[in-house]
Amino acid sequence: MTNSYVSSKGVSRKGGTFARRNLIIAAPLLPLLAYLTFFFFWPMFAVVVDSLKNNDHQWSLINFTTIAQKPYSTAFKNSILLGALSALFASIPGALFAYIIEVRGSEKLKGFINSLSGVLANTGGVPLAFMFIATFGAQGSAIKILKSLGIDLYSGGFTLFSFTGIVFVYLYFQIPLMVIIFSPALHSIRNEWRDAAKNLGATPRKFWTTIGVPLLFPSFAASFLLLFASGFAAYATARAMTVGNIALVPLVIGTLVDGNVQVNQANVGKSLAVGMVLISALAMIPYLIIQRRARRWQQ
Amino acid sequence: MAAMKKRIDLALFTALGLAGIFILLPFGSSAEFSFREYSTDGKLLHSFAPYRWIIEQPEFLSHLLLSFKLAFIAVLFTAILVVPSVAWLHLKAQSFRPIVEIVTLLPLVIPVVALSIGVQAAFPDWLQSTEYELPLMYVVLSLPFTFRILDNGLQAIPLKTISEASRGLGANWPKTIFYVIAPVMRTAVAGAFFLTFALSLGEFTLTSLLHWDTFPTWVTSVSQQNIIGAIALSVFSLAVAFLILLLVGLFSSRSKKRTEVAE
Repeated sequence: MTNSYVSSKGVSRKGGTFARRNLIIAAPLLPLLAYLTFFFFWPMFAVVVDSLKNNDHQWSLINFTTIAQKPYSTAFKNSILLGALSALFASIPGALFAYIIEVRGSEKLKGFINSLSGVLANTGGVPLAFMFIATFGAQGSAIKILKSLGIDLYSGGFTLFSFTGIVFVYLYFQIPLMVIIFSPALHSIRNEWRDAAKNLGATPRKFWTTIGVPLLFPSFAASFLLLFASGFAAYATARAMTVGNIALVPLVIGTLVDGNVQVNQANVGKSLAVGMVLISALAMIPYLIIQRRARRWQQ
Repeated sequence: MAAMKKRIDLALFTALGLAGIFILLPFGSSAEFSFREYSTDGKLLHSFAPYRWIIEQPEFLSHLLLSFKLAFIAVLFTAILVVPSVAWLHLKAQSFRPIVEIVTLLPLVIPVVALSIGVQAAFPDWLQSTEYELPLMYVVLSLPFTFRILDNGLQAIPLKTISEASRGLGANWPKTIFYVIAPVMRTAVAGAFFLTFALSLGEFTLTSLLHWDTFPTWVTSVSQQNIIGAIALSVFSLAVAFLILLLVGLFSSRSKKRTEVAE
């Protein structure tokens, strides 16, 4: 539409200059857009198209009916559970910690915690897995110390290389992530509001039930959703820790890509990827919308 | 009053103490583990042997150098592609901000595993047969973060006003870019560079799913023959990652301070 305005001379001068101005303004942004189109949108488009094709390259939903059955459905169930549990166990302590720091910490401490959380939230991946093996593996230092104190976790049925173990390891980057994304919301509960409520005769409990919690709940829910998406989609840590004994969607996609297993449908991996995108989007889009709204009153 | 003050401190110190254990226990344990060596009669000793073993591996240096090279290329692309775009957004294209904001956030919504499958399905063979496809993708993966760092850094700087002032005083565009725009963007740009660099160095998911071997993927393959070696390598790479990310934090807090002064 913009192009036709520019090229056809019969258009009113006002419309023409407006469109042309817009085009000139947008032009320097085009390289980035072109780059993203090629390196991001096109691959994602290809996944969706391929996921809808059967082995004979015809349109079909067969890949999706396949992944709705075992073992793929189990992998989805496990991954969703992993995302939800790691988000649950990280969001509550993370929020409490952020609250204590926000209310009682000095400005200097807040800055330090913020930087440190940023570092820890990015400490996912392979090194994290090995760090936990060194600590809580059968030969791990913490396990050995506990053993010398008479507590043998491994004889109690604990193992790091299990579903519970993965949830446990994920908390190491999920809790700091919670601290980072939830702190701005806490920061915006203004002291004046607390004082105003107090002056009007509200008890701390009344303040929390009628002002604090309703204000913070959207941000808490949004943070929970982001944590869910992060735990649901994580690959590297789970890959380094397990040897194919736990079915998680990212790991199943990994084995399909590596060609370790034969499947009847060539495009099953792509439909799994589409499934992942849909579930992630279901969590991330509400997160982004809530964040946007919350920012309005946080400023 | 004094009693209350004491209680307040108790909550804070309990929280900080728990956080300290939470953070330091795995770090301390892996540091201890990484010095383990078993003598011939099976006794546990501690020595530098695992680290000596690492250095003796020919793959160590080659993979490390490859990862550094790829991370450097990713930074280069961020510099020529992302930095000018964000600057332009602040200078003239404010009306496009909502679109750009959403588009740059999208890589955060899409799981990297899914994107990797897409890359495999879509990219032509000539691109998939070279390891340089990796840094090109690292730019995309770090875009949500780099955009935000640059955008936040520029938010409080009246880039438009000062560049107009510079032009009004007779400076031409190149002069304005080099002497006015570049210096005020310096801290934000450094933060974005460090972040891209750190993210690229540690990237595992896309790299391994596209069957390339960089430093992080090599560490996983080492673990299959020498777990102590793999843990020593993890300690080493975490130390490097920590250093780089702390620099990011430092730069972003410095730019924040600066913007506060500007206000």
